[in-house]
Amino acid sequence: MTALTMPARPDADGDASPRPIPWRRMAGVTWRQHRAALASVAVLLGALAVWLWRMGVPLHQAYAAAVACHPAASAACQDLVGGFNSSADGHFMGSKGPGGVLLQVLPALIGAFVGAPVLARELETGTFRFAWTQGFVRWRWALGKLVLLAVVLAVATAAFGALVAWYFQPYGGASPQVPGLFENSPFGDLFSLREVTFPAWTVAAFAIAALAGMLIRRVVPAIVATLAVYAGLAFATAGLLREHYLTPLVTTAVSLPGASTAWVIGQWSTLNGRFAYAGDPPLNLVNQYCGSNSGAKGGPPGAVFTQCLAPHGYVQWTSYQPTSRLWPFQWIEGGWLLALSALLIAVTVWLVQRRAA
Amino acid sequence: MTALTTPSLPDSEDDADPRPLPWRRMAGVTWRQHRAALVGMAVLLGALAVWLWIVGASAHHAWAAATACRPVGSADCQDLAAAFNGTWDAMSIPAVLLQVVPALIGAFTGAPVLARELETGTFRFAWTQGFGRRRWVLAKLVALATVLAAAGTAFGALVSWGFQPFSALGNQDLGLYGDSPLVGQFSLREVTFPAWTLTAFAAGALAGMLIRRVVPAIAAALATYAGLAIAAAGLLRERYLPALVTSNPNVPGTAWIIGQWWTKGGRFAFAGNPSPSLVGQFCNFPQSGVSKTGGGLSGAAPAPAPTIQQCLAPHGYVQWTSYQPTSRLWPFQWIEGGWLLALSVLLIAATIWLVHRRAA
Repeated sequence: MTALTMPARPDADGDASPRPIPWRRMAGVTWRQHRAALASVAVLLGALAVWLWRMGVPLHQAYAAAVACHPAASAACQDLVGGFNSSADGHFMGSKGPGGVLLQVLPALIGAFVGAPVLARELETGTFRFAWTQGFVRWRWALGKLVLLAVVLAVATAAFGALVAWYFQPYGGASPQVPGLFENSPFGDLFSLREVTFPAWTVAAFAIAALAGMLIRRVVPAIVATLAVYAGLAFATAGLLREHYLTPLVTTAVSLPGASTAWVIGQWSTLNGRFAYAGDPPLNLVNQYCGSNSGAKGGPPGAVFTQCLAPHGYVQWTSYQPTSRLWPFQWIEGGWLLALSALLIAVTVWLVQRRAA
Repeated sequence: MTALTTPSLPDSEDDADPRPLPWRRMAGVTWRQHRAALVGMAVLLGALAVWLWIVGASAHHAWAAATACRPVGSADCQDLAAAFNGTWDAMSIPAVLLQVVPALIGAFTGAPVLARELETGTFRFAWTQGFGRRRWVLAKLVALATVLAAAGTAFGALVSWGFQPFSALGNQDLGLYGDSPLVGQFSLREVTFPAWTLTAFAAGALAGMLIRRVVPAIAAALATYAGLAIAAAGLLRERYLPALVTSNPNVPGTAWIIGQWWTKGGRFAFAGNPSPSLVGQFCNFPQSGVSKTGGGLSGAAPAPAPTIQQCLAPHGYVQWTSYQPTSRLWPFQWIEGGWLLALSVLLIAATIWLVHRRAA
C-alpha cells in the first residue's frame, strides 16, 4: 500500500492531461446540446432569406430596367424610374420602410438566445458538475463550445448579411447615375446589417450573452442583460462612434461628389476665414441677403441660401464620409467588434477556469 | 380506527375545498416568484418613459412654435417647421423599435410562469398545495396580466402623447411632417399597447405549458407575436371597418389612405399614381421622377396631386381614394384591443385547461 505509485487520475483542474481528448469530439457534444437553438436560427434566417429573395428579385429587375432605359429623359424611362422610386418610399422593406429597422433586432436576439444558455444552463441545472469534471478539462470544454458556436453563427449570419446587402443594393447608388433615381447612403440604418457587420454584431451579442450567463448563472436574466447591453452598445455606435472611424473629409463644394450617397456629418459656414455659423444660416442673414421668396419649396433650403450668401463672403463647409469608405468602415466596425468578442470570450473562459468546481 | 371520520386532507384536485384559501394570499406568492421580471419591466418602461418624455416635450414645443408662427410661409416660419421636422428625425427609428417592447415584456414575463415550474420540477410542490392547481395558475396569470395591462396602458398613453404632434390635423398645410395616427404608432397607444402586451404574455404562458422549457417558450412566443403583428398590420387592420371611397382629391392629410385608383368613363383605368408618361402627355409641367405617394414623408413639398387631377380631369380621368378617416382612430383602437383581449382570454383559458388536465 505504501509503495503504490500508480499515477492518480489526472486532476480535472490540471491543464496538462497525459493524453488530451481530441477537440473534434467537442463538436458532437456542442451540436447535441445546442441543436434546438441552432435549428431555430437556421429556420428563422432561412425563412427571412426566402422572403428577402422573393422581394429582391423584382426590385433588382425594376432597378436594372430603370438604369438600362435610354434615353433617360423619355416618358417611358420616367415611368420605370417612378416605379422603382415608389418601392423605396411606400414598401415595408423599402429603403425608408420600417422593415430595415426591425431587422436590427435580429443579431441581438440570435446572439442572446444562443449564447446565454451555453454556460448559464449548465450552472442553473447543476450539470456543470458533471460536464466540467470530464477528462476534456473544463476550460477546453467552455472554449470549444464557445468558439464552435461563434464560428457557426458567424458563417450563417455572414451569408444572411450578404443577402441583406444584395437586397438593398439598388437603393445604394454606386451605379450609373440616372436622373431622379432614388438613392440612399449605404451608411444609413442598414450599415450594421451587411456581410461584415451582421456577423460581427451577432458574435458580439453571443459573447456578451456567454459572459452574462457565467456571471448571472441563470439563463433568462442573462438573455435580458444581453439585450440591454447590446442595445446600449448599438445606440452608442450608431450615434457616436461610427462617424469617427476615419477623419471626415471637408469640402466647400456645394454639391458633394456622389451627392446623395455620401454621409454628411456636419455643415458650417465661414466668413473671411472665421467661423460664422453652423448648419443653416440664421434668419437675419437670410432676410438681409436672400430675397423674400428664396425659401424654395421642394429643395433643401441650405443649397439655395448658400448660393445667395456666397457673393457676400460666406463659404459653406461640409464634412462628410464618402461612399468609397463603405468597406474600410465595414472592416473597422467588424474588427473592433470581433476584438471585443474575443476579449469577452477570453474573460468567460478565465472565469470558468477560476470558479471553484 | 374504524369510526374515525375526521376529514382527510382536502384533495388538491378538488375545487370545492371546505375552507378555500383566500385569493389574496396568491398575490404575495406571485410577487415573490416574478419580482425580477416585474422590476425589469418597470426599469425598461421607466427608462423609455423618461426618453419619451424628453423628446415628446421638445416635439410639443417645436410643434406649438411652428403652428403659432405667422405669416405662414415666411422664412421665419419655415425655420420653425424645419426644426419641428428635425425632431421627427430623432424619433423615427426608436419609434419603429418600440414595436418590439410589448413582445419582449409579454414573452419574458409570461413564459416562465408555468415553464419554470415544469422545468425545475417545483410544480410538484406548487400544484399540490391546498390552494388547488387551477386556482394557483389562474391567480398568477390574472394578477400578472393585470399588472402588465396597467403598466402598458400608462406607457401607451405616454406614447400617444409623445407622438401626438406628428399626427395633428393640418400639419401638411404648414409644411410639417405628418402621418395618420392609424399607421405609425397605432399599435402602441393606450388601448393597443396593453392589448398586445397581454397577447404576448398569454402566448408565452401557453407556449410554456406546451413546451415546458422557458427559453424555447420565449422564442416561440416571440415568433408567434411577430407573425400575428405582421398579419394585423399588413392584412387585418385596414379591414376593421369598410373603407370610405371618395373622388374628392382633398382627403385630410391625417387620413389613412388604403388605396388609390383612377377610372376613365366609369371604367377602371389604373391603380396608384398616374404614370409619368400619362402626366407628360396631358399635363404641361416638367415631371420629375420623384415619387409623390400619399405617404406624406416630407411635408416640405406640397403634393402636386391636385394639379395632376386637374389636368387629367378634362380627359375623363377620375381619381378615387379609399381611406379610413382619422375619426375612426378610437373605434379601431377598441376593435384591435377587443380581439386581442379575447384572444388573450382564450389562450389563458386553454393554458388553465391544460394545467388541470395534466396528470400531476
